[in-house]
Amino acid sequence: MPLNRDFRRLSRDDGLSVVYEHMFAFPTEIPTEKPVEKSAPLRSRELPVGLADRVRPTTPTAGRLLPVPAPLVPLFPDGALRRGTTTTVAGEPGHGATTLALALLAAVSQAGSWCAAVGLPDPGVVAAAELGIDLRRVVFVPHPGRGWAEAAGDLLPGVDVVLVRPPGRARGTVARHLAARARDRQAALVVLVERGSDWPQGGDLALTVGDVEWQGIGQGHGHLQRRRAEVRVSGRRSAGRDAECTLWLPADSGVVAAAKTAKGEDGSVGAGPDNGPKAA
Amino acid sequence: MELERLVVIWCPLLQQEGGRGEEARRFVQVLARAGEICPWVHPIRLGVCALPARGPARFFGGEEMVVRHLVEAVEEDASVGVADGLFAAILAARSQLIVPAGEVAQFLAPWSVATLARPELAVTLQRLGVTTLGQFAALPAPHVSDRFGADAAACHRLCRGESGELAGVRDRAIDRRLRVARGEDPDQGSEPPPFQPGFFGGASAAETRAALSFARVQERLGVDAVLVGRLRGGRDPSEQAALVPWGSPEAEGPGTGGAPWPGRLPPPSPTRVLGVPQRAEMVDATGRAVVVSGRGLLESEVDRLSVEGGPWQPVVAWAGPWPVTERWWSVRRRRARLQVVMADGTARLLYNERTQWWVEALYD
Repeated sequence: MPLNRDFRRLSRDDGLSVVYEHMFAFPTEIPTEKPVEKSAPLRSRELPVGLADRVRPTTPTAGRLLPVPAPLVPLFPDGALRRGTTTTVAGEPGHGATTLALALLAAVSQAGSWCAAVGLPDPGVVAAAELGIDLRRVVFVPHPGRGWAEAAGDLLPGVDVVLVRPPGRARGTVARHLAARARDRQAALVVLVERGSDWPQGGDLALTVGDVEWQGIGQGHGHLQRRRAEVRVSGRRSAGRDAECTLWLPADSGVVAAAKTAKGEDGSVGAGPDNGPKAA
Repeated sequence: MELERLVVIWCPLLQQEGGRGEEARRFVQVLARAGEICPWVHPIRLGVCALPARGPARFFGGEEMVVRHLVEAVEEDASVGVADGLFAAILAARSQLIVPAGEVAQFLAPWSVATLARPELAVTLQRLGVTTLGQFAALPAPHVSDRFGADAAACHRLCRGESGELAGVRDRAIDRRLRVARGEDPDQGSEPPPFQPGFFGGASAAETRAALSFARVQERLGVDAVLVGRLRGGRDPSEQAALVPWGSPEAEGPGTGGAPWPGRLPPPSPTRVLGVPQRAEMVDATGRAVVVSGRGLLESEVDRLSVEGGPWQPVVAWAGPWPVTERWWSVRRRRARLQVVMADGTARLLYNERTQWWVEALYD
């Protein structure tokens, strides 16, 4: 096991993303040449049912990646959101999962792609702008009611990222259908849930917000300044690399930033205003 | 969602285009003259244009004054009306009325179901003995969507005053027709796709694809279901930004964000701004209610919080209060704002008004 882990890190650090891709995208013995080297783009529904879920195209990845803000790059095996995949963002209410999910729209919207947020009941527009979201590129469908899955399904062919917050645990058929539609339409689906298990299929990538801590606010002084959050990465596409990292979610100016301080030091509630990093 | 208050100018004589394009030319003049009084006059279809009411009403000192100025300015046989949402505002213009804010459902109630311009639905409803929009609105919403489908459900929300607009009210080709009337090249200029007039200029394939998918969601859930965020000035999180329907006139005006507003809280801003604030109780360690003194200070230390009669939760940190006195020129409003962090790590923004605490926003 330790050997494996070392090897994985090595291959990433060298930037051999193609090698990496081949190694982990095909966990079983599928001959890579056969289905994927057709010139016409392959649609998942043209493949046998059992295979459709497992194959991943190996064409150059550049056009199929959607940028994420720099501090979030380490969370993603490709360093970006991959078109056609489902990413779940889980966290207890109030622990910053909404902030993390909205942050995933920031770089994409700035790059000129359309994004949509379905089922976020009262989105904080100012917070979204502070996170770096280009408001001209994001539509909100705050109250889809029982039509949330249909609305998300309608939007997947039209925009590059659909962020959806199901009202509770999603049904298996609904989750499968949406994931398949995202794959088919080459859009990225981001699902905001309370627990990872609320999305029956599990995402290709699962981000979970763990412990959080607000800083800058004391007993009657200061103000909410930044929130340190532990974010864990797991899921099929994390390539078995269950990583964890510490983020400011958000940092002082409202953007997300990497927390450089090690876990456990600094950061008691009421820490002075100058202890944190300067936000990018 | 609160509906946008709109002024509609309705020129009955200019609704039908004659062979020589005279009507369109005169309508262009109406738009220009109205535009001299108020910004963001937006053509809806031939003979009908709309503009946001709130700003001009504040400037001219009331909606009556706005209406009077507009009627004088357009020099055309025009009726003007004001109401919440485009559909009601057009009806208000036809009856030359100013409908008080929030009473749109009562205003729509006596109108015939034929007003919806959905002939098949109207015939079915009339056969069932439902003849007015009020009777239609009284039907239970789940039954309407189950029996009559999504479009009828959208009509139903409209009749209840929950949404402001119906698909099909806007003429998608109006900008093109007006460019012809102005003698411009209809295919030139910044006005992009036929279904989305004047939206961000330019219509790439991606843009068209996006617009189509938004229109599909609007058909499913109603025109007011798809919103875009706009920044504007203000101190409260709820005032600093607004969500307006995608493709509406308000969505296209320039935002006024970025201007300094003394007294607004520093970032980060809350990610969830409650549409309806939640009533909250806050007490100190001895169980007495925490109050804000006349000098804008807390009279005791915060110990625990209960939201909407829920269980008491310990508060571990708080900051504020930041008192703000606003709108001293009209209804005086004194609020004091407080940020609290609970033992479970969640943070909330509260405000106190007339000794009552309210949860205004959550930092999720």
